[in-house]
Amino acid sequence: MRTPPRPRDRLALASRLAATLTFAAAAALIGVLLFHARGVFDPGFLLGAPSRFAAQAGVGPAIAGTLWLALLTAALSFPIGVGTAVYFEEYAPPNRVVLLLESVVTNMAGVPPVVFGVAGLALFVQGLRLGPTILAGGLTLAMLALPTVVVASRTALRQVPRGVRSAAYGLGATRWQVIRRQVLPAAAPGIVTGLTLALTRATGAAAPLIVIGAAAFVSHAPGSPDDTLTALPAQVFSWSTRSQPDFAALAAGAAVALLLVILLLNLAARILRRLLAGGLQ
Amino acid sequence: MTANGVSGSRTASQALPERLAGHVFLACTVIAGLAAAAVVAILARGSAHFFSRVAPARLLTDPSWTPLAEDPQFGILPLVAATGQIVVGAALVAFPLGLLTAIYLQYYASERTGSVLNAAVTVLAAVPAVVYGYVALNFLTPALREIWPGIAAFNGLSACLAVGVMILPTVTLLSRSALSSVPHALIDAGIALGATRARILTRVAIPAASGGIAASMALAIARAAGETMIVTLAAGNRVPLSWNPLEGLRTLTAFLAQTGMGDVPPGTFEHHAFVTVASLLFLGTYAVHAAARRLESRP
Repeated sequence: MRTPPRPRDRLALASRLAATLTFAAAAALIGVLLFHARGVFDPGFLLGAPSRFAAQAGVGPAIAGTLWLALLTAALSFPIGVGTAVYFEEYAPPNRVVLLLESVVTNMAGVPPVVFGVAGLALFVQGLRLGPTILAGGLTLAMLALPTVVVASRTALRQVPRGVRSAAYGLGATRWQVIRRQVLPAAAPGIVTGLTLALTRATGAAAPLIVIGAAAFVSHAPGSPDDTLTALPAQVFSWSTRSQPDFAALAAGAAVALLLVILLLNLAARILRRLLAGGLQ
Repeated sequence: MTANGVSGSRTASQALPERLAGHVFLACTVIAGLAAAAVVAILARGSAHFFSRVAPARLLTDPSWTPLAEDPQFGILPLVAATGQIVVGAALVAFPLGLLTAIYLQYYASERTGSVLNAAVTVLAAVPAVVYGYVALNFLTPALREIWPGIAAFNGLSACLAVGVMILPTVTLLSRSALSSVPHALIDAGIALGATRARILTRVAIPAASGGIAASMALAIARAAGETMIVTLAAGNRVPLSWNPLEGLRTLTAFLAQTGMGDVPPGTFEHHAFVTVASLLFLGTYAVHAAARRLESRP
């Protein structure tokens, strides 16, 4: 299939054109952001606090808020999600209750982030009276990330060959020994990929934070989960809604900062995946 | 007797972590199930309150959605139609571009262009929706104004384009994985019969992968329908429904983002109306997602 396409292969031309457009879209997206952010992106911007005056505004508190949210989301959704995936793949008896639960948890992965915001507002902000805090945001984003974590971890667990389990059971290992010593280590790199995807999505989600009430002006970096909710995606949104061009540049700067945070998360995950994959050899 | 004793004590020492592990994994599953149930319960309770005050038929018969006006109207169809416009517009961008890019990646690209293109698709997938919204508002709309000087500051067209590019990676990555799982024997048979590459693709590979390709498109539709930040920033919140893509519109999700903002007082009628819109969105996207999974597992 890797022979050069014949000149009359119209599908080849069309697919090449589409691929070029896709590449151009990605390049334009990043290019536009960097170009719009060129005037604002400096150390003062990264460390400073939002301000009514565009020239003094920064994203320090929003970066801290996003890191808090990522930490809370990971701490809550990773263990519960991976545990659920292990239960479905390794333990669950094939009865109706399990099948229903399986289908509900899986299909929650297709529910839009904004709906989790509506639920999070009613459950955490109003129900538990947490108010619009980092903790309420973290709980909401953890609910959003959980189905993705479950689905991706199950895929990774399913890719571990049946033979690995059979061999371990054949040697007399118990179920937990098989899972802990064979299945989880073999699935670990795939699970990390899935966790990264879920965390990337949750960290970039603005809609749920807007709905539960992220603040646009927070002058101090949040120091605990009880502090006022502020985060980069919400900051991008609130600056984008202002009509002055100075604030558009700030929004672009906050967007670049958000992309950098996501990039760092993905790089850390890649290193972790290498280590886990290397540990098997 | 001694042998029995030894093996007995071993079983006893293993039994605790063994049983504990099973219970911990079950507990995780119960928590995940409760989280899903909590979302459903919140939506169901709000909708139940709403429909105890408003006849369900009014959702379809009222001309507009203004639940808090003096003379409230509860017609949801304008919001649904606006969401439909965004979905169709985004699909027009993402389906052909996404599928053709997947075909290019799977069958035509050299290793080097393939890895560059893969990186570009990964970037598109990793960029958050709100960033697409910013670019639609501050770059796409001004660019479109060069072509159509009369385009509104908030318009459906730039939102459709941005949502289309945002869901493109979903189509590309999942269609490509469907194409890559087409059995080699089928393609070899085509080659043996002397078919050209384009013919093998259109007559063998794409039909064989059609279930997975359709699933990728269904998932992309669900994401487009639920997209909130792009439509709120770029398409605005125009209440009277317009079918002109150069004008603004208000989707289900834009209503949620505009009404939300953290200060919908709990227990009020406003809150119930707000939750009802979220419930409709939940039901729609949940159904599409379930259909996509069924397509995916189709033999």
